[in-house]
Amino acid sequence: MLPCMASVLSARDLAKYYGRVHALDGLDLDVGEGRIHGFLGPNGAGKSTTIRVLLGLARATSGTVEVFGADPWREAASLHRRIASVPGDVSVWPNLSGGETIDFLSRLRGVRRHERGYRLERERLMAAFLFDPRKKGRAYSKGNRQKLALIAAFAVPAELYILDEPTSGLDPLMAMVFQHEITRVREGGATVLLSSHVLSEVEQLCDVVSIVRAGKVVESGTLADLRHLTRTEVSFAAADASPLESIPDTHDVRLEHGRARFTVDSDHVSSVLPALTALQVEGLRIEPPSLEELFLRHYGDDIAPTGQDGTVRERHRTAAR
Amino acid sequence: MTTFPALLGQRVRRDGVQLLLWTAGTALLAYLTKVSVAQAYGTEEARASILAVVMANPVILLFRGLPSGAGEGAFMLFLIFPFLALLAALMSSFLAVRHTRGDEETGRAELVAATRAGRRAPLGATLTHGILANVVLAALSAVALTAAGLGVRGSVVSGLGAGAVGLTFLGVGLVSAQLMRTSSGANSLAVWVLMVSFLTAGVGNALGTPSNDLQRIESSWLTWLSPFGWGEQTRPFAEDNLWPILWCAALGMVLAGVAVALHSVRDLGGSFVPERRGRRSAPATLSTPLGLVAHQTRASILGWGVGGLVTGILATTLAAVIRDIGTDNPAVEQVIRSIAGGADVEQGTVVVFFTMLGILAACCAVQTVCRARQEETRGTAELVLSTPVDRVRWLASFLVIAFVGILVVIGAALAGAAAGLASRDGDWALLGDVAITGAGQIAAASVFLVVTAVIFVVAPRLTIPLGWALVLVSMMLGLFGPLFGFPDWVVQLSPMGVTPTVTGDGVDVEGLWWLVAAVAAGGVLALGLMRRRDLAPAG
Repeated sequence: MLPCMASVLSARDLAKYYGRVHALDGLDLDVGEGRIHGFLGPNGAGKSTTIRVLLGLARATSGTVEVFGADPWREAASLHRRIASVPGDVSVWPNLSGGETIDFLSRLRGVRRHERGYRLERERLMAAFLFDPRKKGRAYSKGNRQKLALIAAFAVPAELYILDEPTSGLDPLMAMVFQHEITRVREGGATVLLSSHVLSEVEQLCDVVSIVRAGKVVESGTLADLRHLTRTEVSFAAADASPLESIPDTHDVRLEHGRARFTVDSDHVSSVLPALTALQVEGLRIEPPSLEELFLRHYGDDIAPTGQDGTVRERHRTAAR
Repeated sequence: MTTFPALLGQRVRRDGVQLLLWTAGTALLAYLTKVSVAQAYGTEEARASILAVVMANPVILLFRGLPSGAGEGAFMLFLIFPFLALLAALMSSFLAVRHTRGDEETGRAELVAATRAGRRAPLGATLTHGILANVVLAALSAVALTAAGLGVRGSVVSGLGAGAVGLTFLGVGLVSAQLMRTSSGANSLAVWVLMVSFLTAGVGNALGTPSNDLQRIESSWLTWLSPFGWGEQTRPFAEDNLWPILWCAALGMVLAGVAVALHSVRDLGGSFVPERRGRRSAPATLSTPLGLVAHQTRASILGWGVGGLVTGILATTLAAVIRDIGTDNPAVEQVIRSIAGGADVEQGTVVVFFTMLGILAACCAVQTVCRARQEETRGTAELVLSTPVDRVRWLASFLVIAFVGILVVIGAALAGAAAGLASRDGDWALLGDVAITGAGQIAAASVFLVVTAVIFVVAPRLTIPLGWALVLVSMMLGLFGPLFGFPDWVVQLSPMGVTPTVTGDGVDVEGLWWLVAAVAAGGVLALGLMRRRDLAPAG
């Protein structure tokens, strides 16, 4: 696991029930200071509920949660002085312009009206995100509402950024601008909790990843840690599969489209290299598992045509009793 | 037009329960009025003497219909017809906006327009849906009146009259939905047109010419400018005119045609009253939760304030008119004194108007508190509560602005009352009574404020329906309780019923302390419980 470091936020055995629905069911989460922590899971896994509890908008049914060492439900307002957030589904006041909304939210976070630093930062962000501040809220598209929330979050410095699917609705260019801003605040020493289901983005930005499923964190660690738990895929050009017999510790051996393919445990990759060298293979490709594969490892059975959704169904049955 | 049945069916399903309540509620109101009139004014003489008083009292004519004789049916429709028509008109204009601009605003219209239904069929389906709703309302009202024991012909004319006014305002709703960019803008335009029409008909009747036997009024020309006035000219159970019904229906259809024409020349989501560009930066006032609530509610509070001002002006100017009539005719003065509960005639008039004022202020407060719920479901509450603003302070800002709204409405009414006195060279002593009565209504309206706030904290989903229902029930108790002969304790369930009143003997303030205590307790309860409440997820 990670080297010992101060934890900015932590949750232990967190549960949140809405009637019979168990949105969170024993979730554990630790976000270390200065880290960009990816929070992965499909819709309905409990990401947004976790974020609502961390922001003190919802009270945990059971379990403990601490943000900067304080209980977010009791001390929401004082904690929010140190936190910037973007909600999962951004709604805005239909009759306020984008500029007014950004100013209003920033002032609630302590900016004074003519503060020069803030005005410059606001202008810089609006230009970077190509944002028109004079439209009324109801006229903004989803992508523009998202930009508005991001500008409001980044315009005032914070120690912790809690972002719920911040790039949903953004085009690829704007997603790049977002990544640039994340890098900027990380260099300033801030901590980021980034919930997402855009795996490539998480892979690119995050130091640590937690995968949520059915209200629990099922995997957590650095990408390197997680990769050790899975197999790396190796392939090379070959006419038949016979050379593969000489290679130790292989799995899923097969021949496809003129290439021999197999997988190997990620921490045993180096042990197959001598055999490959001896075979003088051509067109060798060694692909570490993508985050997508890590993710599918935990969700694959949900997507499988048989739909063996054991965990979720069982949970509901238990709740129904 | 193969998509038409599907579009119509979807509208009927979506509105089913709501329209059942509107139409059956209207019919029930008609039925109850008939029953209570039979009890309270059982004889022709009793009804004739009431009509004679009414002729002398323009206040009553403002909020009632057109006197057409002392027959049981005609008398009853005089009491209730404008309200039946008002319910039909509100139902129709809300319906029209809901299925046109409302759907456009939420993007549903775009989904539908992208199918084979196209752009125009939904509007046709809405029009048909609205016509059907008014046909049902007319039929149920006619059945209710017949069931109550009135003649079939008059009952049908009454039902058709109310439904026809509904048709006119179906057209008004459709046109305003075309003109305005938002459904709230379209609704308020339609309701403004509706209120002006309603008052125009009432003022026109008040300025009309009574017959020599004081049983019938020939409306002045002003009434003829209003669809409500046309509806009243049917004079059910007296003359049973059908042609005013045709006028109403024709105007409704012309307006519907205008709406179709406007619709066919504009883009989906576009409007004729354009939306202005917003400000680049927020004004200084938009820096706190309180500032936001004030910013969001100032237009509606101003609207309620104008209502208060008009009520205040009417209260004192009409009080003076009635006093003059009373001095001319001692018999009339006697009757009005008894209606006003022993108070001086002018004081009595002021009390009647200020009960209305209390309702107005309560509406303003309930609407403001309901905005907290709207912010919560829309998801904008989450934006504010994710900044250093705690839940209690957030809710408190709505309560503070709602209370300011009450003060604005009552304050405007007091200013209006003073202006009314000044214009008539009235008795300035009356202003003292006005101030005391107005202050009492501040407490009464505040009860609705805190009750709605407690509902919001305890049962958020009920905030809007229950908050408004309580105001509506109190209005019914205040306006119709005495008419239906409800016992005193029922009338006093309404906070407006226990406010201090000025009687001949002085001021009775006993009820005031109860109200103030209830307001304080409710406010503390709502804010205290808010500390422990989750923010509901948006959607």
